[in-house]
Amino acid sequence: MTMTAVDRDVLIRTTSLRKAFGQTKALRDCSFDLRAGEVHAIAGENGSGKSTLVKILSGVHQPDSGEIETGGELIAGLANPRQAQQHGIVTVFQEILVAPARSVLDNIWLGAERPLRADISAKEKKTIAAAWTERLLGAPLDLSMPAEDLSLSDRQACCIARALIRQPRVLILDEATSALDVGTRDRLFEVIQEMRDNGAGVALITHRMDEIEAIGDRITVMRSGQTIETLERGAWRPRQIVALMSGTEETDKPRREDREAAPSGPVVLRAENLRLHRDGAAFDVDIHAGELVGLAGLEGHGQQEFLEALRGAGAAEGTIVRVTDAGEVPIRSIAVGARNQIAYVPRERGRESMFGWMSIRENFGMPTLRTDAKGGWLRPSSTRRRLMEYVQRLGIVMGGPEDRITTLSGGNAQKVVIARWLAAHPMILLLNDPTRGIDINAKRDLYALLRQLTDEGMAVVMLSSEVDEHIDLMDRVLVFREGELYREMPAGELTRTSLVSAFFGDPEEMRDQETAS
Amino acid sequence: MTVAITETTQERTRPRTGLRDFVRRNSYIVALLLAVILLVANLVVQPDFGWVQQFATFAPLAIAAMASTPAILSGRGGFDLSISPLMTLCSCVFIVFLIPNGLGDPLAAIPIVLLLGAAVGTINGVLIVFLRVPAMVVTLAMYFVLIGVNLKLIPTPQSVTGTWVSYLAGTVGPVPGGLVTIGIVVAIWVALGFIPYRRLLYAVGSDDAAAFSSGVNVSAIRIVAYALGGLFAAIGSFALVGLVSSADASQSSAYTLIAVAAVALGGTSLVGGRGGVIGSLIGAAVIYLLQSLLSGMQVSPTWLQFIYGVMLVLSVVIGALLTMKKKESA
Repeated sequence: MTMTAVDRDVLIRTTSLRKAFGQTKALRDCSFDLRAGEVHAIAGENGSGKSTLVKILSGVHQPDSGEIETGGELIAGLANPRQAQQHGIVTVFQEILVAPARSVLDNIWLGAERPLRADISAKEKKTIAAAWTERLLGAPLDLSMPAEDLSLSDRQACCIARALIRQPRVLILDEATSALDVGTRDRLFEVIQEMRDNGAGVALITHRMDEIEAIGDRITVMRSGQTIETLERGAWRPRQIVALMSGTEETDKPRREDREAAPSGPVVLRAENLRLHRDGAAFDVDIHAGELVGLAGLEGHGQQEFLEALRGAGAAEGTIVRVTDAGEVPIRSIAVGARNQIAYVPRERGRESMFGWMSIRENFGMPTLRTDAKGGWLRPSSTRRRLMEYVQRLGIVMGGPEDRITTLSGGNAQKVVIARWLAAHPMILLLNDPTRGIDINAKRDLYALLRQLTDEGMAVVMLSSEVDEHIDLMDRVLVFREGELYREMPAGELTRTSLVSAFFGDPEEMRDQETAS
Repeated sequence: MTVAITETTQERTRPRTGLRDFVRRNSYIVALLLAVILLVANLVVQPDFGWVQQFATFAPLAIAAMASTPAILSGRGGFDLSISPLMTLCSCVFIVFLIPNGLGDPLAAIPIVLLLGAAVGTINGVLIVFLRVPAMVVTLAMYFVLIGVNLKLIPTPQSVTGTWVSYLAGTVGPVPGGLVTIGIVVAIWVALGFIPYRRLLYAVGSDDAAAFSSGVNVSAIRIVAYALGGLFAAIGSFALVGLVSSADASQSSAYTLIAVAAVALGGTSLVGGRGGVIGSLIGAAVIYLLQSLLSGMQVSPTWLQFIYGVMLVLSVVIGALLTMKKKESA
């Protein structure tokens, strides 16, 4: 690579980075550079590879191939966060990483010192930590307080202060602003602008388009593990960014399959006055028999909590009511939910729903064994008979019912897990990202099955991180944003653009509102 | 339906200063109260308490408890079951190898024994950190290995008399010998507070992901925690030899479980990151004083174990009740 005048300003550059986790290709081709004196935003929807890129730049992951260049030298990768920090690269992660039992002061200086020698006097450490916390929070903070006693926003501010005291050349903020209250965020942006003016580079990953508008100098859009395009400030419009994120060529792709009329079965499940977290707005949702409801949004924006609430678990405030002909039953626990025909298929097949060392039959029969126990004695033949029904109906490809479940492919194992819950004859089926990590044919089979189930009158609520799944499959999509129900979209309104735009809070609309006011 | 974007309301941290928070931040407080009460009760039952002898008897237990602490503090299931047999190994090596070979002199014996203790701890730490074998398994294996080695070294108890070590059961100058060995361990722990290591140990135990992402060498910090435990055990071995004037392989596991009980009583969280060596010292004092009180009151020793168990559960439950968070709304 030749060194041009511009190159000297590049603090860090990656070329053709690739990284796979097992079967999943998280990064296919990622080329990104950060210049001195700029705030460079990285945007992309779920699974676009933003987080993987950040983790490679901060030494948490190592790339499979590709080049990283920092400070004018090529490096193979950064072995750990310590090494990244020695290169002046410091990251604040989305997860709030504090040692809960330790004081604010210890948390801020965590990792900045070598274990054996205190390089900085205790007094100086206090002064610096106090200065940064006050700068970020707008008020002094008791540095001796354990981090677990801080509010969420203050804890995140603590993590940011930890990054700032190191005076990084490259500061990476990976969704680090999402937990901050508005005042703290604005003060952080002032600090960032100051750092930029002093020649540092800041990479900003955020789900808020207004933040990118406010301080971004350049923006790189990622999709499916690739860097799609990098645009200078002034050269982008929010609509264009959304189009790039969702895939330009298919933005207004119509729904693959259209049902004649929206189903209008009776209400079977109702969420009343539900509040997913303390500061969020309360909302009501009705789930009807025979409809397929999608839960969408950027990862971690409340859809998970909503699904948990529907099954009777989780910490959400409000009431979930199961409505039947016989009357209304409030669902206060998972057990009550299960008794009232609510079935839940968890997200992590391996950890949350499969007994890896047991056979397919045992995995299938687990929650419904009672029906196979005549006079108290289990009869495997009875479970086998029940299983075979579903093997046929769901098209499960397997050796024999006594084979271990781990011999199945991901898609077939998922079908067994779903069959397990169908065997309990639910009225409401809750699915948590069921097509994650299964192949395309298994997905199609699953879609057909869900269609069939809803045609038979079952209500299906499915959380999915795939935009296409919502567009192709759902009768109605609930978009969650920042812990609240942001929008309810009927099938007719669903396009890639409208959905992804809603994930990001409809940046175009927001701007229109601003200009109007 | 469109919901306007609401700004997150300003959420301010409030300082907490209730009893609950005081107990939470000073987790040894329940044990300390118990220890004071038991000490007073002891002095009432036995007016001639005999401080020097009491400290000598107390020291091996106290040090075993303190030596078990750093591994537990390091978190992720950190644990060291091999402390008690390591103390016996160190005393065996001292009596069987060092004294007959003219290395019984403190200037030679102390460094060698301390190095041995730290080396065994380091082996534990390396196996746990790099092979990712659970600490419970590694140190249980080490426990059996050490007991085997001890039995090989001294099939029958060997006594030793007239060495400098016997001062540790009596007095060193005006100070009770038991207090000296305990004091050295406490001093090392306090000194570690003046370099970043101890803070990093707590941070690693409290949240290793936060520590790792902040650039802390988590592996090194954990290995050193086990080495430190081994070092403390080696110091304890001198207190042990001083007390019993012998090395006895059959007593290898004498302090294994009681040390863990002392650590738990002293308010150290078995999950890691909370508590400390001083808490374990206080926990050990509670166990020791209880034992002393019951024997002073002529209670049958049969009851002793039963009462330990009840007291351990009670004190942990009381501590948990005192710090239990009020249910916060979601």
